[in-house]
Amino acid sequence: MRIFNRIVVILLLFALFALGVFVFLTSISPFLDTFGGQGTDLQNLPPSLRPDGLSAGLRGYLTNIENGSVGALDALVLIAVALLGLILLVLELKPPTPRRVRMQRGTYITRSAVRDEATRATEQEHEVLQSNVKVKAQRRPGAKVDVTASVREREGTRGLQSEVRDRVQQHLGQRGIPVSNLKVRIAGSDPRETKTRVK
Amino acid sequence: MAEDLQLARAASEAALATDGVYALATGRFVEAATYGAGEKVTGVVVGPDEVRVHIVVRWPLPEPIPALAERVREKVAPGAPGRATTVVVEDVEVVRDENL
Repeated sequence: MRIFNRIVVILLLFALFALGVFVFLTSISPFLDTFGGQGTDLQNLPPSLRPDGLSAGLRGYLTNIENGSVGALDALVLIAVALLGLILLVLELKPPTPRRVRMQRGTYITRSAVRDEATRATEQEHEVLQSNVKVKAQRRPGAKVDVTASVREREGTRGLQSEVRDRVQQHLGQRGIPVSNLKVRIAGSDPRETKTRVK
Repeated sequence: MAEDLQLARAASEAALATDGVYALATGRFVEAATYGAGEKVTGVVVGPDEVRVHIVVRWPLPEPIPALAERVREKVAPGAPGRATTVVVEDVEVVRDENL
């Protein structure tokens, strides 16, 4: 989201730059005109871009808002702009999610290392043909691990979920990898579409 | 620059001398290294405020990974006074797996 905010800020700064150039040209216009210059005459611009036309339109719009005579569409657009601004502000103020899993002070383990270990533990289970592990780092120590184990459609998943959970917990525990939240989901899959067909 | 390289070399040696460290890691998306004139030390990133050591640990482990990482940190930190020392475990190299 910081990238999106950065793009918005770049566009705003570009608009500010254009406004600065515009003001500069306006201010030196009389001076250049004395030397026969014509390029800075703002009255040569199309009517919609002329400063007096722009300012008159803006003044009229603001007067309408002050008088409370705003159309429904305008009101919706203004509310949407305000909400978008609020959302962008909150997202900008929110600290980013850490990339690595914190273990202790000054020691981290990468998400990929945690994912590899959780995958290895899950696929040691005979019924599991394939696994999909997602690891999220948190600001506090420990990783958030979501495991999806694919098994054959016809196999009963009763008890398998807790078996996989115990195995992953034990495997990560042996290595001392801190896990703050472990979720295990068993999904029925066609063996022809999984990484391993038969074990 | 030369000081950074010297510090990186010392940190690298200290980390590799720790029991349970298999190798220094190279980083995943960006190379983790300290660069000098005609030389680079891979696995250690020396910054103005931080020394970051990327390691691969060996399985079976002599101790849990957090304790091992802490031991590496304790070995590297005295050589980098005034800078925070961070240890990142990038991978676990299975030398012998009892489950296989």
